[in-house]
Amino acid sequence: MAQPVPAAPSVPAPGAPAAEVTLWRRIVRHRMLYLMFLPVAVYYIVFRYWPIGLAWIVAFKDLKLGMGVFDSAWVGLDNFRVMFEDPEIVNVLRNTVEISLLRIVVGFFPPIILAIMFHDLSSGRLKKWLQSAVYIPHFFSWVIIFGIVFAFFSTGTGFVNNVLEAMGLSRIEFFLSEGWFRPILIGSALWKEIGWSTIIYLAALSTIDAQLYEAAKIDGAGPLRRIFAVTLPGILSVVTFVLCLSLGNILFAGGEQILLFYNKAVLDTADVIETWVYREGLSRLQFSVGTAVGLFQSLIGMVVILAGNTLAKRYTGRGIW
Amino acid sequence: MKSNSAGERAYQIVIHLIVLLVAASAVFPLLYVIGMSLTTKSEMIARDYFVIVPHAPTLEAYKRIMSSSVIWHSFVVSVLRSTVGPLLTLTLTAIGAYVLAQRTLPGRGIFLLFILATILFNGGLIPTYLVVKQTGLIDSFWSMILPIMVDSFGLLVIKIFIENLPDGLTESARIDGAGDWSMLWRIVLPLAAPALAAIGLFNLVAHWNSWFDALLYLNDKSMYPLQMVLKNMLTIDSVSGDSMNAMLKTSQSISTETLKMAAVVVGIIPVLCVYPFLQKHFAKGMYMGSVKG
Repeated sequence: MAQPVPAAPSVPAPGAPAAEVTLWRRIVRHRMLYLMFLPVAVYYIVFRYWPIGLAWIVAFKDLKLGMGVFDSAWVGLDNFRVMFEDPEIVNVLRNTVEISLLRIVVGFFPPIILAIMFHDLSSGRLKKWLQSAVYIPHFFSWVIIFGIVFAFFSTGTGFVNNVLEAMGLSRIEFFLSEGWFRPILIGSALWKEIGWSTIIYLAALSTIDAQLYEAAKIDGAGPLRRIFAVTLPGILSVVTFVLCLSLGNILFAGGEQILLFYNKAVLDTADVIETWVYREGLSRLQFSVGTAVGLFQSLIGMVVILAGNTLAKRYTGRGIW
Repeated sequence: MKSNSAGERAYQIVIHLIVLLVAASAVFPLLYVIGMSLTTKSEMIARDYFVIVPHAPTLEAYKRIMSSSVIWHSFVVSVLRSTVGPLLTLTLTAIGAYVLAQRTLPGRGIFLLFILATILFNGGLIPTYLVVKQTGLIDSFWSMILPIMVDSFGLLVIKIFIENLPDGLTESARIDGAGDWSMLWRIVLPLAAPALAAIGLFNLVAHWNSWFDALLYLNDKSMYPLQMVLKNMLTIDSVSGDSMNAMLKTSQSISTETLKMAAVVVGIIPVLCVYPFLQKHFAKGMYMGSVKG
């Protein structure tokens, strides 16, 4: 065992002589830590960085089944040209942006409103119970969510169609209708996540000084007035922050959910980058175009997140890093 | 003053009502699904599939499901991946976070960047698939475990947690001659246990709910986890799901819908079982996550 150096190593001695020797000795002294980190580093290299490296190679090659990545031919930007010239892929890109924008627009305000109501709720114990109830759907898989949505919207036996019929209206083929697909998709996502999304706002709300509310009350402000004068300004920075972050997902429209919910009848309005890459890229072996589309998606996502972070920092003084 | 307090009361009543409504809409679908899963075929037909509380509940659907070897098998696969996965994740997360929390470690900044960068950028579906293929994991149980062994966000949360432990504890252990392993094992892990438990539980639920990786990496259906089997039972494109027809073949007493809903309930039950524990931990975990930055 190396001689334990008594305390204060956390601050390197200023102006230590022969810095290189010191650095080397520090590295040697920490050799156990590097050894410990090795499995984590191996994981990141194999399962995170290797795919990134491959993405940059495969996107510029014509990868064929049975041919190795390194044996297949370079094709320059051909895969990207295919991506922007294929009307199906262009439609997929448009669907992706439309669906994710819809998700942001529809999904943004309800959690904020719900969080404010939770915050203002006077009864303590009931509040805990209600909160636990609204969080639950977040923990169900998309498969389960689809099962539940099916129970409500299927044509022959669904709850909603039964209600429609009881009201004297006609049944609707929700799952096969291009007009209904997106409302169902986004509505069920809202149902799944509305409760869970309140958490970040509740954390922000809990930091608001209770004295501000008292003062507003004394000044004669009613509940709504207090929301606009105290509550909203108190969480504005978090609201902006969440908005900027969600914009970063503009090219991620929730492929896992769509893959479960869509079918041939609604393909034109439902198909997004993730589903297309899975279906055409992987299953129909268009590896290279699929990789190019994925790379494009990832790059745009990164740029938007970086921009969003910069904006969030500028306007709220708070970024992800 | 009087009118003000009346306004307060009206406001409280309104928000109570709305929040109750939202909570009810979160819970009602579950109750409805459970009700459907207990209904006999004759009652379904008699009441035109409009059953909320069955008059004569039957466990037939659950018996069918439990007698299906496909579902049992996939249940075991899911339990296995939801145990092995989180254990490995926690081990690597704890070790990685401990190392990154050492402020004196040379190269720490590079390591951190190395991990942060993966939050921003990934290779995408097909390159990841190719790597799983190249590492020989296709059709292996480990294809559902190894590619998602470390979650960068969880790692950073635990790292911050360890950094915020009081310096006195670690320093006195150092003076007593503790090496890194015993420091991690005896001092840091017990203190970080609640935070690690939260990460572990979330990871468990994520493993339990996961099916897409099975769809990608497994051709061999005998390895399918439960959610993947449920998916085949439930989705429109595979109405002719093989396992379901086998289960229904001999049954006159229950309908396809009942069986489907029972399958949904089976997929939910384990989540509801760990939910109270999740409850206890997630507020803390989320708070730690959101306070950062």
